[in-house]
Amino acid sequence: MAEPTVHVVDDDESFLIAMARLLRASGFLARTYSSAREFLAERGADEPGCVLVDLRMPDLGGLELQAALAETSFPLPVLFLTGHADTASTVRAMRGGAEDFLEKTAAKEVLLDAVRRALERNEHEREERSYREELRARFAAISTREREVLEHVLRGRLNKQIAGDLGIHERTVKVHRKSIMTKLSVKSVAALAQLSQEAGLAVHS
Amino acid sequence: MSPVTVVWSMIAAACLTLAAVHLPVWWRNREARATLAFSIAAICTAAIALCELMMLKAPTPAAYVTAQRWMNLPIALLLVALAAFAHHYLDARLRWLAVTAIVLRLVSLVINFSVGESANFVHATSLRAVPLMGEQVSMAIGERNPWRVIGQIAVFLLMLYFIAASVHAWRQGRRAVAVLVGGSLTFFMMASLGRAFLVSWQGGDAPSTVSLFALGVIGVMGYALSADLLRAKQLVVELSEREREAELVADAANLGTWTRDIVRDKVLASKKLRELFGFAPDERLDGERLAQRVHVDDRAAFRDRLSQAARRRGEYQGEFRLVLPDGRLRWIAALGRVDSDAKGNALRSRGACIDITAAKEAEQEMLRLRQDIAHVGRVSVMGQISSALAHEINQPLGAILRNAEAAALFMQDESPDLHEIRAILEDIRKDDQRASAVIDRIRALLRHEEVAMTRLNVRGLLGDVATLLRPDAAARHVALEFAVPADLPAVRGDQVQIQQVLLNLILNGMDALEGLKDRPRWVSVTARRDGPAGVEISVSDSGRGIGADHFARIFEPFFTTKTKGIGMGLSISRGLIEAHGGRLWAENTAIGATFRFTLPIAS
Repeated sequence: MAEPTVHVVDDDESFLIAMARLLRASGFLARTYSSAREFLAERGADEPGCVLVDLRMPDLGGLELQAALAETSFPLPVLFLTGHADTASTVRAMRGGAEDFLEKTAAKEVLLDAVRRALERNEHEREERSYREELRARFAAISTREREVLEHVLRGRLNKQIAGDLGIHERTVKVHRKSIMTKLSVKSVAALAQLSQEAGLAVHS
Repeated sequence: MSPVTVVWSMIAAACLTLAAVHLPVWWRNREARATLAFSIAAICTAAIALCELMMLKAPTPAAYVTAQRWMNLPIALLLVALAAFAHHYLDARLRWLAVTAIVLRLVSLVINFSVGESANFVHATSLRAVPLMGEQVSMAIGERNPWRVIGQIAVFLLMLYFIAASVHAWRQGRRAVAVLVGGSLTFFMMASLGRAFLVSWQGGDAPSTVSLFALGVIGVMGYALSADLLRAKQLVVELSEREREAELVADAANLGTWTRDIVRDKVLASKKLRELFGFAPDERLDGERLAQRVHVDDRAAFRDRLSQAARRRGEYQGEFRLVLPDGRLRWIAALGRVDSDAKGNALRSRGACIDITAAKEAEQEMLRLRQDIAHVGRVSVMGQISSALAHEINQPLGAILRNAEAAALFMQDESPDLHEIRAILEDIRKDDQRASAVIDRIRALLRHEEVAMTRLNVRGLLGDVATLLRPDAAARHVALEFAVPADLPAVRGDQVQIQQVLLNLILNGMDALEGLKDRPRWVSVTARRDGPAGVEISVSDSGRGIGADHFARIFEPFFTTKTKGIGMGLSISRGLIEAHGGRLWAENTAIGATFRFTLPIAS
């Protein structure tokens, strides 16, 4: 897996370079961008990392960058930086959805801890994301008829009832069930139910 | 029946009818004295006609003079009534003429019943038949009463009185009335005198026809009065038109109108007024009921207005808040006028009310906004500047910090990249320069315009400050007082700066009164001569004074006791005053705090 990258976005070139230096000296991989547009255009797909962005920038600001990022399939955690966190701008940023909000002169430890937390969060999110991807792939292998049978199973109905409902032979139901268990690689109905829930499969009652 | 009997009876009947029509008019309006006089004159004429008929038809001289004797009574009364009519209707002057005439006529009436057989005859000896309306009527002959001249003088004087009355009415512009009423009265007197001259002095042949002439006068008077009645009717119609117009105007202007009978304390209110006050259309109203609708805080003032209106005459006005039955608040402006009787007693007040809620709300909103703006303006200019300063300066400071931290980390390497560290140090130097450039820029922004030292009139200076602060002071319920002696010399200084110092000190004074309710709330500004070369201006407040632990520090920069203050006002003020060559200091007085500063007198 690729090394996580800290993307620093700031229109103040001097701070951008200094920040990247500190990050690299602290053992992080850092890339710099002088505008939000540049970052959005250049970022690679599905790379681990986080974004450190100046709240106030001409054209696209930090909050707009966060919003644009959230619409992509691989969002990254965003840390906001600001020159001076006065009440008004803090309230505005918080309302806009900012979670981590730091002054540019914040203590190094606070800043680096925040970056670390963001990277951890990203790693966690990525794992979840890939697990869900995998689940989705497994469920995608199930045929339409099998899906119907699955829904009935999840509702706790017996094979005989399912056969009656779907107008098929009870033995055919058993075949479908076995096929489902194999495709999803589960061994019990309980595991099947949990997996379905994790995959976000809606059970209509 | 003989024509004379018919005509004379008809005269009597006609006169009684006229009296019957006009007496009730007087009864309903006792002020119409002319109508009463006319009615009496008509009744007298009827009586005269009947007496005269008996004379004309008298079979014996005795019967003739008896009728004549009794006829003299209604004649005397008729003359009194005519004089009264002229007095009231023609507004005649020269009352003494009328009074003298009446007294003489009454004397003649006494003679009529005491000397001889009547005022006309000492003794009637025989009757002569003379023609009248184609028949023979009686006329007495005998020894004439020499006292009859008194009655004739009375008639003459009355004639003069009527002439004077006609002239007066003519001059007053009532020409038709002067000619018609005055003329016929005068003519009646002249005819009476003429006949007396002919018959009783020349011994001519002419039967008594007083009734005919009297009827003529009654007819003219009746016509004049009826014309007045018709005009009154017309006026009533016009008045109700006006009333309807006034109602329309009041409705269009959303005016509620009322009339209050002060004596009986009854209020008649228009539909709109009832709407304004929230009363039902048929509810009985009086002053107290109206007062009950007025907001508790305004009620005393409202009652004052009502009782003032009862005591004084003229106009009064005021603005009140109403609390409607549903709890809503409504502002009204009221204008009233008091009507009094001739003695100056207040009879009734009338007035109009208008809903000014919207205007009031707008006004209060304005006041609130102005207050906000004044406050925001004061606290946020410095706030904005400091926020902008922090933001600008933290950019380079952040970069310096991060660079320094990075360099420190690089230095921990076994073989530090000196090239990189040199680049970092160069960047730190550049950012440091950037930071001081930011400071320079902010300082330039804050720098005051060219200081303009001019001659300043202290009174004018304080007047400007007062204008700026009055709304703020009123909104914060602080009395703002200024006292400047007229002979105070001009001072030398920068107008804007001195005004800033004054604004700052006065606003501080008002801040010191914030939340204090146990005392009168005032800020007082006084100016006085201070030695040969200076003027001292002091700003005192009725607050709690300066705390002992704060006293030494209040002029320090950034020292403040206010939640929203930044603690620069007094420090800047002292700097400004000292730059002018004056001093600024604080004292605690018996009541509150006083800040004093001096300024040099302009040479």
